[in-house]
Amino acid sequence: MQPLATVYFLTVRSLREAVRNPAQEVGNIFVPLFFFAVTVGSIGSIAADAFGIDNFTGFQVPVAILSAASSISASAGLGTITDIQRGYFDKLLLTPAPRSAIVLGRIAADGVRAVIITGVIVVVGLIFRTGFDTGVFGVIVLLAGSFFFGTAYSGFNAAVALRTGSPQAAAAGGLLLFPLIFLSTAFAPKEVFADWLQVLATINPITYILEAQRSLIIEGWNALDLLRGAAAIVGFGIASFTLTFLALRWRTS
Amino acid sequence: MRLAKTRHNISKFAERTQCPTLDSVSAIWARGLVKHFDEVRAVDGIDLDIAPGTIFGFLGQNGSGKTTTIRMLTTLLRPTAGSARVDGLDILDDARAVRRRIGVALQEAGLDDIQTGRELLTLQARLFGMGGNARRQRVDELLAVVDLEDAADRAIGTYSGGMKRRLDLAAALVHRPGIIFLDEPTTGLDPVSREAIWRYVNRLSVEDGITVFLTTQYLEEADRLAHDLAIIDEGRIIARGSPAEMKASIGTDVVTVEVPVADGLGRAAEVAAGVAGVERVQIADGAAVVYVPDGARAVARIVLALDDAGIEVGDVGISRPSLDDVFLEATGHHLRVEEPAAAEGGAA
Ligand SMILES: Nc1ncnc2c1ncn2[C@@H]1O[C@H](COP(=O)(O)OP(=O)(O)O)[C@@H](O)[C@H]1O
Ligand SMILES: [Mg+2]
Repeated sequence: MQPLATVYFLTVRSLREAVRNPAQEVGNIFVPLFFFAVTVGSIGSIAADAFGIDNFTGFQVPVAILSAASSISASAGLGTITDIQRGYFDKLLLTPAPRSAIVLGRIAADGVRAVIITGVIVVVGLIFRTGFDTGVFGVIVLLAGSFFFGTAYSGFNAAVALRTGSPQAAAAGGLLLFPLIFLSTAFAPKEVFADWLQVLATINPITYILEAQRSLIIEGWNALDLLRGAAAIVGFGIASFTLTFLALRWRTS
Repeated sequence: MRLAKTRHNISKFAERTQCPTLDSVSAIWARGLVKHFDEVRAVDGIDLDIAPGTIFGFLGQNGSGKTTTIRMLTTLLRPTAGSARVDGLDILDDARAVRRRIGVALQEAGLDDIQTGRELLTLQARLFGMGGNARRQRVDELLAVVDLEDAADRAIGTYSGGMKRRLDLAAALVHRPGIIFLDEPTTGLDPVSREAIWRYVNRLSVEDGITVFLTTQYLEEADRLAHDLAIIDEGRIIARGSPAEMKASIGTDVVTVEVPVADGLGRAAEVAAGVAGVERVQIADGAAVVYVPDGARAVARIVLALDDAGIEVGDVGISRPSLDDVFLEATGHHLRVEEPAAAEGGAA
């Protein structure tokens, strides 16, 4: 069995699962949109004066995207654990399919779901007049970024799921992103932060992912921002996939 | 076709050169197989030689090491020590090739509630590299074999326990493996579902010549299905042979004398052991189990002797030796069957 074919078949299976469990998907998108609306509604009107951000709605879209993508990946960690507990994971391991491809199938499905949810959020943003400075091609770049961020984050959840087999641990793993979001430039530009928070925001990779996404929406093409964002996603992905494969090796030996 | 021809040629070559033939190669072979989980010696040195085409029964009670053995032989678990070959392939060095040749239905039917039965079998077939029409035909065929055609397009979450086991069995057969491992395929099932599984397993062996490695904690299942049998207790094989051979190895009839007064039991055993012809006496579950040739005649002598000794006697039974007696002789206790606490699955 070819690794790519395996990944594809298992991606399809995971997506089918998502389609048959629509309530969960609705929750995944509703919560970030709720926070998006509340943030924009509460401080949107003072953002221009306070931080010099005119398009605060557009400024907030990436935050909604990242939190939606992360809640998606948390549910995939739970899916892996359900498979392990039901014994279905063993059944997959008993096929000649490469074991890493079995895990990557679920991870890739999360990437696809992140792309879909990003599309929904972009559309909601457009309805609220965020505009999209880099146009259609910029949307494609944003969606591609979401795919890679979704898989990178999902890899981290898969690692927790494989290593612990515990639903509680997987749920906790899904929350990792929230402190990282709050310690980034999610709600205001770095310039207005206290010194200690500026330092944390500068070393926080989420900051660079957000800035890259923002540049696409409210600023126009900015190669440096995009490169930094891509580097942050790649770094995050290398770390999370390393953990995933270590966890898989641990579970299957 | 080509394989059959190759086999034939090798057999002829083997005849000329007086080598062991392919047919004498075990389908499953193990030497000194050990698995320790920290302090627990789950499997403690097991040897296996299972001939191709046989149904091999692995009988033991809960916690004796059956599942751990299967997980090692099917490449899911790395042995602590020892080596094993499945279809001639090393389980460590050739793990991927082993997986290609075996079908496995684990103890907890490993299914996914959200897919339908047909989707699950289709995905399974795809992961074994089957494509197109051949795959569709095989899936239809298997759904028919396990009588799940009507439920094929329903979510597995709605299946009963028996239906799940049947689907799991079908999933193990998708890629036409020559060897299948079934871990307690009927535990927790009602008698009708159990009969159905027995029928399928028998057909696999008789019609398709598949080697079946089957674990069970049911004496009747081992007796009915297995051509060859090993009894496992605390991680070690304590008896092996065909069910008939095993029973014959006891060599006597079995007279079971219940003694209602608990502290009379020890004395009853002593007295019974002194009766002419008695070979051995064991105490189990409030009864003295007396091994004696020609039990029908001996029973009178035994009861009289006990009566003379002033020991009150309850029910008395005579039987040909059963696998339970083999188990009792080897372990000193009866085989305890533990049913799962809750029945699995939804409505029938
Ligand atoms: N993963 C594990 N970790 C620790 N102990 C285990 C594990 N798997 C099995 N055991 C122990 O090994 C012994 C044999 O278990 P098992 O092979 O499941 O028996 P059976 O299948 O015959 O019921 C039991 O004492 C069980 O508790
Ligand atoms: Mg078991």
